Amino acid sequence: MNSSSENGNEFHQKVHPDTLVIGAGIAGIQASLEIANAGYKVYLVEKSGTIGGHMAMFDKTFPTLDCAACILTPKMVEVGQHSRIDLLTCSEVTEVNGYPGAFKVKIHKKARFVDQQLCIGCGSCAAKCPGKAPSEFDSGTALRKAIYIPFPQAVPNKYLIDPESCLYMQTDGKKCGVCVKFCPVNDCIDLHAMDEELNIEVGNIVIATGFKIFDAKKVARFGYGKFPNVLTSLELERLINAGGPTEGKITFRTKDKKGNWVFKPDGGAPDSVAIIHCVGSRDENCNAYCSKVCCMYSLKLAHLVKEKLPATAVYEYFIDMRAFGKGYEEFYQRIKKEGVHMIRGKTAKIEEIKGSLKLRSEDILNNRIIEQLADMVILAVGLEPSDGVKQLSEMIGVEIDANGWYKELDSLLDPVGTARQGVTIAGVCQGPKDIPDTVAQASAAAARVLQSIESLKEVEFI
Amino acid sequence: MGGLTMNTRVNPDFEKELQKYGKGNWNECFHCGNCTAICPLSEDGFLFPRNSIRTLQMGLEKKLETSIEPWLCYYCGDCSETCPRDANPGELMMALRRYLTTRYDWTGLSKKFYTSAVWEYAAIAIIALLVIVSFLVFLPLRPDAALMVNESGGVMINSLVAGVSPDRFVTLIEYGDWLMAVIVGGLLITNIFNMYYKTIIADKTVKIPLSAYFKEFWQLIYNFVTQASFSKCEKRSYWLGHLLLMTGYTIMFIIVVVFLPYFQIEEVVPVWHWQRLLGYYATFGILFFLGIVIFQRLRKNPITMKFSHASDWIFIIMLALTTLTGIILHIFRLAGMVEATYYTYIIHLAVLVPMIVIEVPFSKWSHLAYRPFAIYFSKLKLATLKEKSVRKLAPAIS
Repeated sequence: MNSSSENGNEFHQKVHPDTLVIGAGIAGIQASLEIANAGYKVYLVEKSGTIGGHMAMFDKTFPTLDCAACILTPKMVEVGQHSRIDLLTCSEVTEVNGYPGAFKVKIHKKARFVDQQLCIGCGSCAAKCPGKAPSEFDSGTALRKAIYIPFPQAVPNKYLIDPESCLYMQTDGKKCGVCVKFCPVNDCIDLHAMDEELNIEVGNIVIATGFKIFDAKKVARFGYGKFPNVLTSLELERLINAGGPTEGKITFRTKDKKGNWVFKPDGGAPDSVAIIHCVGSRDENCNAYCSKVCCMYSLKLAHLVKEKLPATAVYEYFIDMRAFGKGYEEFYQRIKKEGVHMIRGKTAKIEEIKGSLKLRSEDILNNRIIEQLADMVILAVGLEPSDGVKQLSEMIGVEIDANGWYKELDSLLDPVGTARQGVTIAGVCQGPKDIPDTVAQASAAAARVLQSIESLKEVEFI
Repeated sequence: MGGLTMNTRVNPDFEKELQKYGKGNWNECFHCGNCTAICPLSEDGFLFPRNSIRTLQMGLEKKLETSIEPWLCYYCGDCSETCPRDANPGELMMALRRYLTTRYDWTGLSKKFYTSAVWEYAAIAIIALLVIVSFLVFLPLRPDAALMVNESGGVMINSLVAGVSPDRFVTLIEYGDWLMAVIVGGLLITNIFNMYYKTIIADKTVKIPLSAYFKEFWQLIYNFVTQASFSKCEKRSYWLGHLLLMTGYTIMFIIVVVFLPYFQIEEVVPVWHWQRLLGYYATFGILFFLGIVIFQRLRKNPITMKFSHASDWIFIIMLALTTLTGIILHIFRLAGMVEATYYTYIIHLAVLVPMIVIEVPFSKWSHLAYRPFAIYFSKLKLATLKEKSVRKLAPAIS
């Protein structure tokens, strides 16, 4: 390392051909594949136990209504099998040193407790496991075991243990350990496995940390978390999905024997569903920005509800209908023709009356108040930056804006690059966007990385 | 509802003008309808506050001038708290109430007082000075006033003035009360008629049958006494506090104007006597609620107290001073401090008289009449709607 780099003097440096991609949602997957397929090595770091991100949770994509899993899972498998992609799940970047072209990165790899090579995915362990927790993949609509595969198409398709819900780990080894007993492979499950620290060197970093959904409990007047049949859009997405907890049926939230609120296939279907737009978006009290995808996914969900339950009345309460993309306005017109009721006016509050939900809204275009009963209410929650963006931004030396989205170098002409050379951003971590935009930006980020490696016979860093 | 006449004149500067009556980012509104829907008082036929914001943004001054809606709002603040644009819809209703007060007043004084604190201070000072001078010149302290103490040691309040018998002194003050009531009441009644003209007569879209005036009349009395609409706001404690204040000063008003000869008497009555109990209740009621309001206005929290117009402070301070001088007067009297009682009596009146003369017909206190009348008028209009809007729980349009 040249000491003059710290002083900001010009110097020439060969770029390390390996790349670090942080986050393995559709953006991280796309960028990794593009770089790896061009012949360079990629370290793909993912916080959770599987790749796929939010897109894997969706049932259909708008406006074409393609099956999300059908598009995504082949890419996930490709990542899992790619010889030039080193996939690091349950891992987080903890330290970034060095300089553009030669970053030295420390990665904390949490123990999965199940050997990735030995596990045959038979499921004997999970069948006996007594520990339960809300399934992250099913957005809390169902429970999973403490030893689990996040979802059937997960990559890597191997079991892992969540220490928070594992009885053995919560009791310091005093209880349970039943998974080890029932595992047919020797030494496959190690309940005392330790976390690892990894040190790697890369030339470029692609940030693709995505988003988390707005916490609907923050808007108390909608009663999320209080009224069982007020759902987030992501919960409905899981209900509609055939691989979800209700096998694709839209049912009410019910209590199971142990008192957990879950969805079951026999939970009963709603006769009316109301969708409230802009929950946690376009609101000075939480997030002032537009989350960009909610209008369209709400229309998509309305369509899917109508498709599953044709007799069910669906209402959309919106402020402005933002159908801005290719084929989007046409999609909006199509959903209107399908008989979904569109009401301009944001619902102000929800009350529960004898198990039914009463929504009070102003029907602006008809100059009246609507007090409407609905069996189920869907909150179209907005997008927020993932947890930990602040730490990561400080670690890497990339700025975030007031809302926590990564700052691009130039919003018009360089939405991929950042103020730090060698660091590019892709997907929602730069700002809310839909899948086509995310994929486009991920490809652009990959192109930027490849450009630097290829032309890096000699590249000038300032 | 209605009120829009054939010729609609747009005043693009109206929003700027209205900022003199209250502060809000009303142009920020993007019309999501949250405020109207969250308001428990907003109903079909009388939708607010969003409708008023829209009218304001379009500069339709005339339409706002003839609207009843601002008086139907009791400013619980729910709309402003949850407004996604921080546009302060509740404060617009408040600003419009101030503005409408100036529009109903035909003398033009109200507008002067609302748009210039100096005018209001000057008016208060002149009336206060008139009271003080009249006393010192026509009703001076008699030289042997120190002797005017009764057997229980209390000051004989009606016997302090030179050249006037105690009975005559009470009658004089009573005449003064009546004179003030006639002037103030007369002004207020003409203002109410002005309001009636703007909101009902000038609205050619409705024709109110005579029977409705009688059928709905109870609304006027009922709402004046109970402020029942206010109780529909989710923050009910505010309604209770306001009711305490309102019953307090109403009792005091009735005692002073109607029963003065029984109230302002020479002997000191026992603590459990009706007049002392009522007086203490009124004092407590007024001070309790005023205390809360002063505290909240200083803290600028909750959102309804964030912006205080000069007229708000003047009203609060005048009412507080009236009450405090009343308490001090009571103490001096019981303690037998003759001179102090006499001068405090003058100060008490020098605060009370301008407060009533300025506040009731021209300023904030006029809402005591405009609010119940607005409810009455709104019921009159609703009664004329062919199909009464019982659209509750109806399916929405496609």
